[in-house]
Amino acid sequence: MGATNVVEVRQLTKIYRQGEINVTALNLIDLDIAQGEFLVLMGPSGSGKSTLLHIIAGIDRPTSGECHVQGIDVADLSESRLADWRNQNVGFVFQTFNLIPVLTAHENVELPLLLTRLNRRQRRKQVETALELVGLGDRARHLPRQLSGGQEQRVAIARSIVTDPQLVVADEPTGNLDSHSAHDVLSILQSMSRQAGKTVIMVTHDPKAAAFGSRTVHLEKGELVD
Amino acid sequence: MNAATYIVKNALRNKRRALLSVLSVAASLFLFVMLLVALREMTVPPEDIGSSLRIIARNKVSLAQPLPLKQLAIIEKIPGVEAVTPFSFYGGAYKGEEKFTSFAQFAVDPLRFTAVGVDAKIDPAELQAWFADRTTCIVGVDTAKRYGLKIGDRMRFTGQIYPVDLDLKIAGIYRGTMDDRNVFFHHKYLDEALGDPGTVGTWWLRAASPEEAPRVVERINRAFANTAAEVRAETERAFQLSFVSMWGNIKILIGSICSVVVFTLLLVTVSTMSMAIRERFRELAVLKALGFRRELFAFILAESFALAMTGALLGAGGAWWLFHSLDIPKVTNGIFVSFEVTPRHMGLAFGIAALLGIISAIGPAITVARTSVVQGLRTLD
Repeated sequence: MGATNVVEVRQLTKIYRQGEINVTALNLIDLDIAQGEFLVLMGPSGSGKSTLLHIIAGIDRPTSGECHVQGIDVADLSESRLADWRNQNVGFVFQTFNLIPVLTAHENVELPLLLTRLNRRQRRKQVETALELVGLGDRARHLPRQLSGGQEQRVAIARSIVTDPQLVVADEPTGNLDSHSAHDVLSILQSMSRQAGKTVIMVTHDPKAAAFGSRTVHLEKGELVD
Repeated sequence: MNAATYIVKNALRNKRRALLSVLSVAASLFLFVMLLVALREMTVPPEDIGSSLRIIARNKVSLAQPLPLKQLAIIEKIPGVEAVTPFSFYGGAYKGEEKFTSFAQFAVDPLRFTAVGVDAKIDPAELQAWFADRTTCIVGVDTAKRYGLKIGDRMRFTGQIYPVDLDLKIAGIYRGTMDDRNVFFHHKYLDEALGDPGTVGTWWLRAASPEEAPRVVERINRAFANTAAEVRAETERAFQLSFVSMWGNIKILIGSICSVVVFTLLLVTVSTMSMAIRERFRELAVLKALGFRRELFAFILAESFALAMTGALLGAGGAWWLFHSLDIPKVTNGIFVSFEVTPRHMGLAFGIAALLGIISAIGPAITVARTSVVQGLRTLD
């Protein structure tokens, strides 16, 4: 693995079985992603971009091939070690925000920290820092329904970075947002990559969103096209 | 925030459903406890200190068959017998207007009766007044309260078993027995009304000691073996339990109802928990992505357990509180006397609730465990 590569994907294949038919979602993918890179995965629906993102993030497993993240082959980890690894190394941002509706912004961001050994005071400090970073320090006590879509997604970003992971994966993070909110969210992701040195992998259909990335990779029918 | 806060907030996420779930558990466990208490009341005769000493001797053929009065002299001479009294169930209808008289009336020999060892507390002057006048009776405090009776009042009974009506004057009011409802009056008065038939319903005896009681039973049975009126003597406890055996089918019936209640409750809670978890599938998938795994089972179990135990607290606790607060003899028209919720009943109710909590969490927890993060997100997206 290269010294600066956070992700190294080799001959990665993912085949889904749908009834009697095998569907190849990813076919012999090779991809390197450097530390601090903001990689954009683009492609039409069904091209395999989300599948690739899920395998890199450790929430799906490849059929064959290797996927090393920070030197660890995530496909080899047991479910329980993979869960611990995700908690410590990966931050997730989803298209539909996926905040817990009964928890405040502060509590939502705090969730991943419940699995750590941090005490209540340390957790509070980290949550406040994460919320400040996304510009929502004054919305900590608000429930998701009291926030706009853009604010909800910023809370989700705060949740993704609160454990200080090296890798942040975002699956269509602006898909449910207006252009102004989308711009805010993309700017935050960009600054996480540029200023905090996080590796960000984002799946999007939107070329405008892709422009925020440092590199764009296209997938079609499960294969990289450039 | 800690895990408990998260669990409580989740449990109360849909307040109406949480309330209805808790109430369904509460109502079912209330019914369950009530049935158990009723069953106990019907099948476990109350015990007092003297019950291990007392013996009932009845006709071996049937309780309805009388025994000859002349047996008294023989019984008195049996070793180990301290005292003996005739004891006949009169079974009259009070005031002649009630379909069901909630208290029993017994004809006894007052002097012998007190010697047999009643645990009743009664004013000595009232007792003497009862001894002195064969048309008088003593009444349990519960019956006196219920009908507003006082000393000197008259009680009129219409015979239902015996073809005579009785008019008794209250000489005293007793209390302190396990069942303070009964009326006791002079056997002589009944005999006179019946034209001295020379019979009694049963004999009620007192043994010299609890250890002696089984031997006394044997001696009495032997004394009247192969006579025209063979007797069946047994301890008071055994006599009461022979009535209990008549409730056999009721026990099965109540047991069946309890089982159905618990089974229905199980279906309700499992369905509720499954629904609650199904609605949160996406969130649980997200939590799995964030690194939660075994913790999710703990969250589901704790939520299910908390709902079931809250229901138990309301249902079983409510039953305990209600049955302790109510005047049960009055409310049940004298059918039930104590209606006591025992620690065993409470333990059973809470045990069932705990089991419900655990069982209803297993299904959803397995589903969540088996579903991958991607499946979870995809299913609901």
